[in-house]
Amino acid sequence: MTLDPDDYTVDELREELDGIDDVEEVREALETERSGAERKTALEALEERLDALDADSSDDEPTRDKKHVRALVGGDYADMWVFCETQHGELLDVSKEMLGKARELMDGYAEDFGDEEDVVAFLIGDGCADLAEECIAYGADVAVYHDDDRLERFLHKPYTEISAHMARGQGTTESTDWRSYDEPRYTLFPATNNGRDLSALVQAELDSGLASDCSDLFIQPEEVSNPVKTGEPGVKKTFERTLHMKRPDFSGFEYSTILCLDNPDRDFHPQGASVIPGAFDVPEPDHDREGLVVEHDMELEDEWFSVDIESHDTLEAGVDLTGHEVVVCLGRGIGDDPTLGMELGLELVDAFDDAALGITRGIVTSSYQFDGHVEQYSKEERQIGETGQEVEPPLYIAAGVSGAVQHKVGVDESETIVSINTDSDATIRDFSDYFIEGDLFDVLPMLTDAVKSGELTVEAVADGGETDE
Amino acid sequence: MEVKPMSETRADGGSDDYEHYEAVVVGCGPGGAAAAARLAEHGIETLVLERGVEAGSKNVSGGLIYAEDSAPYTIDDLFPDFREEAAERPVTDYHIHNIDGRQVTTYDLTDLHEHDTDWCDAVLRRTMDSWLEQRVHEKTSETGGGVLTGVRVNGLLRENGEIVGVTCDELDPIRADYIVAADGVNSELARAADLMDWDEPDEWFQGVKAVVDMDADVINDRFSIEEGEGVAHLFSGDLFEDVRGGGFLYTNEDTLSIGTVFHLDSLVAEEAEPHELLDALLTHPLLAQWFDGEYNELEYSAKLVPDSKKVAHREPYADNLVLVGDAGGQMQAQGPIIKGMNHAVTAGALAADAYALTRGNADPEAAGRRYTTMLEQSGTMGKLRPRRYELTSTVGEHDLVTRAVEGVLNSPVGSVAIGNPIAKRLLPKAYNSPFLVGMLPDTSMAYTTLPSLIGEKHGRTVHWENEIEPPTLEERIGDLTYNTDVGNPHIRLQDESFEASGAAVYACPVSAEDFGGGCYRAETVTTNGSEEKLVSLDTQPCVECGTCAIVADTEWTHPRGEKGVEFKQG
Repeated sequence: MTLDPDDYTVDELREELDGIDDVEEVREALETERSGAERKTALEALEERLDALDADSSDDEPTRDKKHVRALVGGDYADMWVFCETQHGELLDVSKEMLGKARELMDGYAEDFGDEEDVVAFLIGDGCADLAEECIAYGADVAVYHDDDRLERFLHKPYTEISAHMARGQGTTESTDWRSYDEPRYTLFPATNNGRDLSALVQAELDSGLASDCSDLFIQPEEVSNPVKTGEPGVKKTFERTLHMKRPDFSGFEYSTILCLDNPDRDFHPQGASVIPGAFDVPEPDHDREGLVVEHDMELEDEWFSVDIESHDTLEAGVDLTGHEVVVCLGRGIGDDPTLGMELGLELVDAFDDAALGITRGIVTSSYQFDGHVEQYSKEERQIGETGQEVEPPLYIAAGVSGAVQHKVGVDESETIVSINTDSDATIRDFSDYFIEGDLFDVLPMLTDAVKSGELTVEAVADGGETDE
Repeated sequence: MEVKPMSETRADGGSDDYEHYEAVVVGCGPGGAAAAARLAEHGIETLVLERGVEAGSKNVSGGLIYAEDSAPYTIDDLFPDFREEAAERPVTDYHIHNIDGRQVTTYDLTDLHEHDTDWCDAVLRRTMDSWLEQRVHEKTSETGGGVLTGVRVNGLLRENGEIVGVTCDELDPIRADYIVAADGVNSELARAADLMDWDEPDEWFQGVKAVVDMDADVINDRFSIEEGEGVAHLFSGDLFEDVRGGGFLYTNEDTLSIGTVFHLDSLVAEEAEPHELLDALLTHPLLAQWFDGEYNELEYSAKLVPDSKKVAHREPYADNLVLVGDAGGQMQAQGPIIKGMNHAVTAGALAADAYALTRGNADPEAAGRRYTTMLEQSGTMGKLRPRRYELTSTVGEHDLVTRAVEGVLNSPVGSVAIGNPIAKRLLPKAYNSPFLVGMLPDTSMAYTTLPSLIGEKHGRTVHWENEIEPPTLEERIGDLTYNTDVGNPHIRLQDESFEASGAAVYACPVSAEDFGGGCYRAETVTTNGSEEKLVSLDTQPCVECGTCAIVADTEWTHPRGEKGVEFKQG
């Protein structure tokens, strides 16, 4: 028998509908109402029921499993948690940067509010127990880690489940008795590829908010008059201990400060942020610092690992030419035989203990054909100059480099600049400490021999040859 | 002003959301400024998009702007304080020097210069255009628009094939009822609308210029002028070997603009280096009198100049888009007459009037048609494409005829003709006749042979020594300001063979043979034992003149807004 909505008032209809589980029947009733009385409220009631039935019946819908965990109201929060991302068995720099900033913030917090709360590092991975210790050295009071060989690489599901489990203080008494609050007050994630994913997932799981890609953080009270937050219009309310999260907006044209504030009937905690790598300094580690290292306890379900990582590739990390004792830079002077020039440059680099090979923009943009074994050195990642890397090594050797101003600004701060050029009028001579007039194809092997044998220092070659200071 | 940044665009890219303006003007040079100012005066909501950090930062000109008696609009009609606020010195003295080695014959061209001229001022484009931008912003703000800088328009928004707006690198597409393309000689819009191409070098001139520092008092002293006076000198003859073109020197308040302008096809044919041609002028003994051994170059710049005789578009419109100024080839360069900015101003104002008059007409091309008619009736098109040139050029430019005429001139009889006393009287007259100058064929005869014969026969000998040393190309590039769009070159080389693109190595004003720091470099590459000559490109030193778009096989666009070279003088 079909339901004729016309037989009911809208209220009666609602009640009646609750008892109907057949999608088709509701659908027919909806059509009847549409072609008949067309009561707006009745249509709404029918559509609502249809939506509810649809949601229940469609098993393949990924949203079916989503349980809306109500956020806490009036919960108990403490501590600043920091997700310390690791890679190849090491803490990422950004993890250390966040620990340093968290330390600074929580020290200030103790002073401002009179409560001592902790910096809690949390780590997930394979073999991260040692790294948990390291987190203490970088400023954490507590380091919670979950070790499992299946967690070697970042996986969305288990990482999210573990993080939320940790944050809620679930697990055995031994692993959680160091704390007595519902959830963290603040949580920081790195704004790395994985960190961004995890921050969104975990904060959603904990029914809170997230300020992504932050570049500055500070804690201070904030007076708010928005009725959504205060509960009644015209009333001002001060939110104590509010984390102010600054982030660049509109492609960096301006900065916004994001606040994560509780509603009267719903908490928004932890106050969460992801932090841009490099926004803060890496602190000096203090290996004598004492802290609590806690192994987290949780059963990991097999189905969380339904994603297998079958292969992986390490992306070209780029080349960092800074921080070396010596930088050898090749310019278009190698043009007569680019491959040989590159080989000679590399031989000189190898002769030093700590040297790197750079090239000018003129090489990067050239059509030179390099043989396979040296081709990798001809790419933009090794470019020195205004539009490449700026270096300031104790010794900079420029071979076949003319010294255009765009190159000069990239090497100006080097302690000693030695240049080799066939043209004694080349601009580079003006800012070289030693200038060797000659063909790099002759001079580079001489320099390499001299460095290797130690019999002839660079200065000696310079002084002994056709030089000019 | 409400223009949405990219980050606020709708994810589905729905066009209903696009900003709409009654008129969009692309480019805030004199043409765009005149158009926008007039549109605003008609009460039309006008948005001006300018790709530079401010107007003028992308602009170069030789440096004279005219107000013609016969023109319907001059720049001070539209912007009353223009001459006091935005211009340098007026030109009160005008000469041409025919050069043959150290022999120089000078003619006073003031008569020619003053023909149809209300006034003529030297200008520097950064100062001039940035001042115009302020005025345009004030005017257009009153009718709901304004000027947005740092926005590069990269193409046309079309619907069912019809132009309905513009697309930009930095913003969402913008719809407009009327689009004024005043985006300069390398107009991407004119090309997107299939109105202009970049194919023939003989349709273009290339100008390079140096702005030279000189105290106002020193200028007054060395050029024998007072405050409020200025000079223009033109140079022709064998200074430049067989490359067809000439040079100029204009006095600004406390700088000089010195440059050379050559037919691009001639530069290519002679494999000439533009910066060396400029240096040939700068170091000529004749200029020693003005430098006195001192030379401080502030800025090196270059630009293409359309030859309006050949490319001024007779019907510069498509749908609701019109071309104004260089974008439409409206640059008059006929012998010693070099007028561009004044025609751009006229055209811009007429384009605005044409829209105001046809506003509400359902036919999108109504305004374009009206604009075309107005260009004709105002006499502007007649100046840009003189009829007498079209009559003479078929004969005048013919190689055989040229050679025949040169043969006569070089013969004893021909030289006698030039050397006789009557010719001495007639020649300055001929040079001062706009009619005869308009007839000058574009061959080396007009630029080189005739002037050097004149120089030989009538000249005085210059005995000064010019000892200045112009900067090298490397130094010139080093002195320019660039905001390089790292990893995003705006020009791509399509064919790197020397046959296809080698001409750019010398014709590009910031490239030279055996110079590794320029845009285009010739390189001999050995692959598997066989040698090959290739061309490589680095767009970092680019001055955005557009030469390589014509002489090489490239995919040429302007850099994104605020990127690339920034001229401080212009």
